[in-house]
Amino acid sequence: MSTVLVWGTIGVYIAFALVIAFLSRNGKQNSMTGYFLGERKLNGFVSALSYSATTYSAFMLVGLAGLTYSGGIGAFGFEIIYFMGVSLVAIFGPRFWLVGKKYGYVTPSEMLGDRYESKWVAIITALASCLFLIPYSAVQLTGIGYLLQGVTNNAIPFTTGVVIATILALVFSYIAGIRSVAWTDSLQSLMMIITSTIVVILIINGLGGLGGFFHAIESSDPQALAVPGNGFFDFWTFLGLTLPWFFFSISNPQVSQRLFMPASLKSMRHMLLGFLIFGFIYTIVSVVWGFSASVLFPGLENADLATPMLLSSEHVPPLLGVIVMVGIMAAAISTIDSIMLTLSSIFSRDVFRNVKKDANDKQQLMVGKLVIPIIAILAFLFAQLQLDLIAVLSVSSSAGLIVVVPAIIGAFFWKKGTAAGVIVSVLVGSVLVFILEFFQLIPLGLKSGIWGIFVSAVLFIVISLLTNAPWGKADAFIGYVREQMKTRKMYR
Amino acid sequence: MNQREKVWGLILLCFVFLGYLIPYTFLSNITKWYGSFLLWSILGIFVIIANYRLTKDWSDKE
Repeated sequence: MSTVLVWGTIGVYIAFALVIAFLSRNGKQNSMTGYFLGERKLNGFVSALSYSATTYSAFMLVGLAGLTYSGGIGAFGFEIIYFMGVSLVAIFGPRFWLVGKKYGYVTPSEMLGDRYESKWVAIITALASCLFLIPYSAVQLTGIGYLLQGVTNNAIPFTTGVVIATILALVFSYIAGIRSVAWTDSLQSLMMIITSTIVVILIINGLGGLGGFFHAIESSDPQALAVPGNGFFDFWTFLGLTLPWFFFSISNPQVSQRLFMPASLKSMRHMLLGFLIFGFIYTIVSVVWGFSASVLFPGLENADLATPMLLSSEHVPPLLGVIVMVGIMAAAISTIDSIMLTLSSIFSRDVFRNVKKDANDKQQLMVGKLVIPIIAILAFLFAQLQLDLIAVLSVSSSAGLIVVVPAIIGAFFWKKGTAAGVIVSVLVGSVLVFILEFFQLIPLGLKSGIWGIFVSAVLFIVISLLTNAPWGKADAFIGYVREQMKTRKMYR
Repeated sequence: MNQREKVWGLILLCFVFLGYLIPYTFLSNITKWYGSFLLWSILGIFVIIANYRLTKDWSDKE
């Protein structure tokens, strides 16, 4: 790809994104809820696009396409199971939203801390989020570095790519907090879905339409259309990969925090349905993308090269290829900036406020804003170091965060749940997942995520039964949700 | 959980279960577009419809 074209497109993208970020500066950003939750007034359309952009990182067109390239249709199933898991928003969304408004929660860990009446619950779940998500952001940055370096034949060096992405993520979250993040996310996801769909249509046409496309896969590698296919996606691997992602929408704070933000439940509904439609199209596009690469460029040594190869091939017009490539960069940035914002709110609300008891809203906001660049620098340094440890933490992030799921379900549906149960299940669960990932252990053939959810669920239940539950709070919390759902005449 | 959540939640769970079961049993030898690709696509659309129905009465009350 021409370096001038790449730089030019990056320049145009930055200019557009900055204008949108500045335009988004309405409303007050001088409070915690204003800055981190958009005053709980986000509309459905922006929420949907932003939710999509935050969820779908650079992983889709690089990682998922690569997974399809090497493992076939199982990659589609993997993403569809995740997709089905987003239905958890339909059950948990209204509950998060109702208690968020009632008790003024800003972060999911704050909610858990209050519900189980223990600041340690908040602190520990907050730190677990930081432990897994900062490395996850770092790996996204690394991905951008490699992508830019690869498609421009080293004209844009690795470090330059990483620096650009870090600065942009920082700027987008700084300008107006969640508002600028949400609006730049929306720009990115719209651009991405349109351009990548055009690319896929062009490629399918080039292969002789849908019939020709499937015929080409069937004749080059028929096993690619079934599972376990070439053996890549044997059942237990599939289950181990999909289970943590099934719970992603409630286990990962950068998306579960979104459940506090919509202006009304109707807006949340639009967010959910908008995301599902977006996600379904984008999933099919990414999988078709991977299959196209396997037909056009069989035998690549590294499957992650499938996308760069496709974008610089003669099947894609150069300008379109560059736009999609910048779009992939933007996709990584839109995931990182949301994570940065969420983690800084979590740090300030759940760690700082619990250490310095009398911290008022202004002080919390100031700490939150100070922490954003620190997280950005940490992610940047981790990306530069490219340590094995960072890669392990990133890969295990979805499996590591799954250990909070029993505590979240318990908060809304089990009055007997206790703080001790949460603390032990989260601590032991995340350490266990980390050890399994670090030493690459697969006891009984089951991957870390399966062990994570199983062990944390058992620990949560057993220890809760052995300790005293905060009955008063549990009754008030669950009772409020029930009463509100009734008076709002949901589910007639 | 109320009645509608129970009913649709159960239906969604069935979709998930089928999403694991069918591709690894009945469709594991069907190496055509109308195998697992079609099944997962249909389940994906069913999930959208189920969510549409499940969230029907969410109001715009703030």
